[in-house]
Amino acid sequence: MAGFSREVARRVFAEELKSCNYSFRESEDQSQYAPQYLLTPTGAKCNRVFIVGTLTEKDDIGGDTEYWRGRIVDPTGSILIYAGQYQPEAAQILANMEVPAFVAIVGKPNLYQTEDGNIIISIRAESIQRVNEATRNQWIVDTARRTHERLRALKDAEAVPISGGFSTADKVSAPSTVQDYQRALEHYHTDIEKYRQMVTRALASLKAELMQAGDAEAAAVSAQPDARIEPPAEVKEKAKSEARKPKMKKSGTLAEMAEQDDIRKVDEVRIFGPEDEEDGHDADR
Amino acid sequence: MKELVDQIAARLREQKIEVPEEEITSRLKKLIEDFRVPEGEARRSVLNYFLKEHGVMPLARASSEKVKVSEIAGPGRWVEIEVKVLDLWEPATEAISQTGLIGDGSGSIKFVKWAKSGLPDLEVGKSYLLKRVVTDEFQGRFSVKLNRTSQIEPLEQEVEAKPGSRGVEQLKVAEIDEPGRWVDLRVKVVQLWETNSDAISQSGLIGDETGSIKFVKWAKADLPNIEEGKSYILGNLVTDEFQGRFSVKLNRTSRIEPIEEDVQVGSQTAEFKGALVDIQKGSGLIKRCPTCKRSLAKGVCSEHGKVDGTYDLRIKGVIDDGQRVQDVLINRETTERLVGITLDEAKKMAMEALDHEVVCTLMDGKLVGRYFSVTGPRVDRYILVETINESEAVTIAEVEELMGIVEVD
Repeated sequence: MAGFSREVARRVFAEELKSCNYSFRESEDQSQYAPQYLLTPTGAKCNRVFIVGTLTEKDDIGGDTEYWRGRIVDPTGSILIYAGQYQPEAAQILANMEVPAFVAIVGKPNLYQTEDGNIIISIRAESIQRVNEATRNQWIVDTARRTHERLRALKDAEAVPISGGFSTADKVSAPSTVQDYQRALEHYHTDIEKYRQMVTRALASLKAELMQAGDAEAAAVSAQPDARIEPPAEVKEKAKSEARKPKMKKSGTLAEMAEQDDIRKVDEVRIFGPEDEEDGHDADR
Repeated sequence: MKELVDQIAARLREQKIEVPEEEITSRLKKLIEDFRVPEGEARRSVLNYFLKEHGVMPLARASSEKVKVSEIAGPGRWVEIEVKVLDLWEPATEAISQTGLIGDGSGSIKFVKWAKSGLPDLEVGKSYLLKRVVTDEFQGRFSVKLNRTSQIEPLEQEVEAKPGSRGVEQLKVAEIDEPGRWVDLRVKVVQLWETNSDAISQSGLIGDETGSIKFVKWAKADLPNIEEGKSYILGNLVTDEFQGRFSVKLNRTSRIEPIEEDVQVGSQTAEFKGALVDIQKGSGLIKRCPTCKRSLAKGVCSEHGKVDGTYDLRIKGVIDDGQRVQDVLINRETTERLVGITLDEAKKMAMEALDHEVVCTLMDGKLVGRYFSVTGPRVDRYILVETINESEAVTIAEVEELMGIVEVD
């Protein structure tokens, strides 16, 4: 298959993923088969993501056919994943999995806009596998590192004024990532400091866990290794508040399916392709 | 008539040449009325006559200068070149009547002859004077275009052409680091692959002490076949690049020379760290052709037809570090160690489940989503895994170091 190359799985924390509201297809002809990308506030252009976290809930929300939804929690927040009849292996694994568990997800990010303008980001899982805590820790470091790299690139892009002229076809390949950062800045007016703090918080919580684990090990090896995972305060709060919430109905619109905290009202939703983008640039200047 | 005369006079005045109008008129009249020459042609003929008369070279367009191929250094110039046709390629579109490589003593360059030009065809090995061709550039490489205003004049005397702009270099495989270079290689044929196009007569892998590289031999090259395991000097190959990986192409100007010496094939060891994000089709318990070791598809070898295959265990995986993806191939020994299952156990497992897929599922469960670091020779798009280790557990020191970096910024 000449010209085909697999899309990289980006590393993005849940908090950042949930802040996304900009997706586009990258193709001149806007064909429905062109790959779809989600651009995150720090400029990760995601067609695929890799997430490792704790599966805290799972439900079959399907009707006649099974349609599984799970919630994955990382140090910054949570994100919903889905697996249905078109992801049979992932659905099967999710169905048989105990909660809570450490899981690794490879999947496609999905942006869904409800009729009243809310945006829901979820992940359609290509694969779900149970992993151990060591893998989850590696993922946090990996994702912190990649996010930090993007924040650096954002700063560089901020320093350079956004180029007005659109590049020609043969120029696209090399500076395309620079374009991603400029696009992210334009669309989200990204607060770099906010995301830097998010990375620091994630690492600080991991460090605290590792130190705690070290102490525990010194005392005695815990019989229940999962028990020592302390979710961040924010997540605990949420778990409490969610416990009070009435159970979601089995059927319903996608909007209903998503929990309240997955829905954010956005003033203006712009889902557009490169063509509209050009107009957007002009308008901003 | 008056109009034509004025035009000619004006053009001549540009060159600071004064010619009596009567002289222009009489020449024009003669051509048009006596010899039925079309007005345009007549005008050009008369103009050129007077220019020549006054020692000015008849330059039709802006200026078409005679240059050597190596002097072509910018697009949009009208030039005249004396060249030999080194190779002709299959045009990619109907808009092009011919395309290929031409060269002179100074180097070689791609040419494109537009279908609309209505020019006669060029022949490989013949020499021509190409007039009023226009230079072009794409991604830093130059070419010349033959259009309607261009002219082709066959030359009696052969133009001595050097095949490459930089000349042919005797290189090692590992030294190939850019496309469009002409090279000689001393190699052994490591592997021959099936070709999936009629335009390709052979393709596969060749290598020397420094590593191996993909090769393609065009059907049009009309060269003898090379054999797996034999060593050759391959002369005058062109390097090519696709998505960061290099290959060499054998074309009509290339040479194949068998040698007695057995070239040792070495490897460039690559290292890659990341998460294993996929185990692809063709992994797990597979059957191979007993003759050529190719993996079978539904019991059929693409080379030897339906055969009784022998079982093997392998993994075709994808490792992803968040910025790049790397395909990896893991052989039986390593797979057995990594997954903790022997070939016999895998066979038994598949037999009991009446399904080969269970082996793959087991592998998925044990490997996908975990971080690994692999080393091994890079062959085509794969790393042939020699060592694979699950990445070390995160340490407090590592986290602190990264926190330090993040906080400084």
